[in-house]
Amino acid sequence: MYYVKETDLVVIGAGAAGAMAAIYAHRTDPKLKVTVLDKSKMETSGAAGRGMDALNTMAIPPRSQPEDVVEVLTKVTEGVLDQRVAYAFGQRCPQVVKDLEEIMGRAPGDLFPVDEEGNYILYYLHPINKPLLLPMDGEEMKRALAFAVRQTGAEVFDRTPVLRIISRDGRVAGVLAFNIRSGDYYYFKTKAVCLTTGAAGRMGLASSGYLAGTYEFPGCTGDGYAMAYEAGAELVNMECFQANTLLKDHQGPSCGYVAAPRGAYTVNPWGEKTWTHGYSSGDSKMGVWKRFTEGRGPLYLKMDHLPEEMIQVIEKIQWGNERTSRGLFHRGRGQDYRQGHSVELGFAEEIGVCGGHSSSGVLSDLHGATNLGGLYVAGDVDGGLPHSYLGGALAMGGVIGEEAARYAAGGRYAAQPQGLRAWLRKEADAFEAPLRRERGLPTALVEYKARTRIQYYLKPPKNRAFMETAVWWMERIRNEDLPHIQARDFHDLLKVREIASILTVGEMMARASLFRDESRWGYQHWRADIPYKKPQWERAWVVVKRGEAGMELSRRKAPKHQWDFPTAMEYAYPKLEFDVGTPFVKGPHWRNPESDPWMKEHLDQQGMATPRRFLPQED
Amino acid sequence: MDQLNSSGPRSEEDFAWLEVDRRRCNRCGTCIDMCPMDVLHFGAQGYPYMRYRDDCWYCDVCVFVCPKQAITMTELPYLIR
Repeated sequence: MYYVKETDLVVIGAGAAGAMAAIYAHRTDPKLKVTVLDKSKMETSGAAGRGMDALNTMAIPPRSQPEDVVEVLTKVTEGVLDQRVAYAFGQRCPQVVKDLEEIMGRAPGDLFPVDEEGNYILYYLHPINKPLLLPMDGEEMKRALAFAVRQTGAEVFDRTPVLRIISRDGRVAGVLAFNIRSGDYYYFKTKAVCLTTGAAGRMGLASSGYLAGTYEFPGCTGDGYAMAYEAGAELVNMECFQANTLLKDHQGPSCGYVAAPRGAYTVNPWGEKTWTHGYSSGDSKMGVWKRFTEGRGPLYLKMDHLPEEMIQVIEKIQWGNERTSRGLFHRGRGQDYRQGHSVELGFAEEIGVCGGHSSSGVLSDLHGATNLGGLYVAGDVDGGLPHSYLGGALAMGGVIGEEAARYAAGGRYAAQPQGLRAWLRKEADAFEAPLRRERGLPTALVEYKARTRIQYYLKPPKNRAFMETAVWWMERIRNEDLPHIQARDFHDLLKVREIASILTVGEMMARASLFRDESRWGYQHWRADIPYKKPQWERAWVVVKRGEAGMELSRRKAPKHQWDFPTAMEYAYPKLEFDVGTPFVKGPHWRNPESDPWMKEHLDQQGMATPRRFLPQED
Repeated sequence: MDQLNSSGPRSEEDFAWLEVDRRRCNRCGTCIDMCPMDVLHFGAQGYPYMRYRDDCWYCDVCVFVCPKQAITMTELPYLIR
């Protein structure tokens, strides 16, 4: 069936940011018609579907201030950010705490810890001397947010991924979606869109080979990045890769932000620490990379020096929050937090991009507004607020809900596609082509190919040849394989759209890495062929935008800094000139001739054909 | 490599890492409704099974939301465990 609907505001992706956007849109203008679309199920979808154990970067007075958020984000982005966005986020942090306590019905001191004076307790984690990590007992956060969204009266469509954002004359005009269980198509004519689709977290394939074995929620396939790009939005920092230290094969968080603030740290088999701090920035990743490359891996999470009580606290958090299968996983492998060298960690097994863990996404300002009129972004798909994590998603989700509601209330619809119903049928028909093929490439096979290529060619250290080959692969799979892919049903058909997103994002990552002809952010954009920073790239973004002839890239200066904080982290790019030992030097060999008349004679007689000898003869 | 060569729905007889206790399950469909990856669907007799097994993120939601405690995740996906 085909449905054409009118609404004021569409929220695409009902994760933490999207849920907050819907809630705040309703608070701002209760008369507004808000439509929420989620490819999954709002109550359990997204990176925080099973909750979260902390808000990683929060300014909660009196222990930390908005300026501290600006300081740490300036440092970990090495100056490539709009400090005004960081400050706006920092100012909104207390509101996030208040909102969550209210929405989840939890008193101060229950959801977040407080001291005897009633002040929130924050932990040290970041590479500055300020406490910015706010622990949270938040397993049910997502279900509570979903309940609050449904209470607003918003029209919610679960299992309804968006296929396209339609823009006209630099404004959003509508949204095309389909339901993976019914196969129904929807076109929403809308004045504003809040894009909150999460990370591009299903990119490089981990060595386990399991396609859904991702760190990010496996539904976060970068669709938002691709859709925004296709609609004409600008993206930044696509060369600043996400590369995590994770529980080997499980791919769940390595507990760095749970265990590290509680005394754990990462060691190699010799007991050597990998880095000085536990924050996941490019400098610490460089430290981890060095350990592996020196042959001094694998790495382990060291907890055996902690008191039993603290180990039980860590187990309670790890096994009951965010990735709750960690307990079963550890038991299955005989891993015990009480033993040294037990909990093995892997590194950089899934190269991807994320505004929450790195800095990549759609460029937005302090209101979450983009270059497209009516398009607002927040959460992991947002490149305007780097290293935003869950706290940033909740804060900026609320901001864009307010801003988009005001925009929609005062705005009119943009021009719509001509002959809307016929256009909708045509779009659906093209989308469903893989369903009509009687034979073709299985979706899983194509995804496997794309993601193994991404992991091999995009993983830092980068150089021109690797990045150019990555572009070649993305184009090749898009041009040669996608036209022959077969989908078995609607669930499978979604994969085709997801693979297209993965290829678009992969191409953006490679092209942006080529365009930024310097190294920056430690491991995250380490060009081994240009292993140093260049002055022209200070405070400058690589902007990726769709042009008439394909991807257009440009350099743009971020707004001048208002705060004079350090714009560098403490690390150095290693010189990659290893001593590989003594090669075979004894000799000399008998010198081989420089021509081969024997094989040349065969070539002349046979050409390139292979003689068919000792084969069954035809009767 | 079976996972790669035949995408799409699986049968109820295929290997799976979720165990549904049919004495407890009341076929309410809560797990099917809540699974974030659309893995679970009703089988022929109305019990849930892993129709899209290889999309499972081993997130545990199905086990957690079941009002009858009828689902057990016996192990993690083979390539992960």
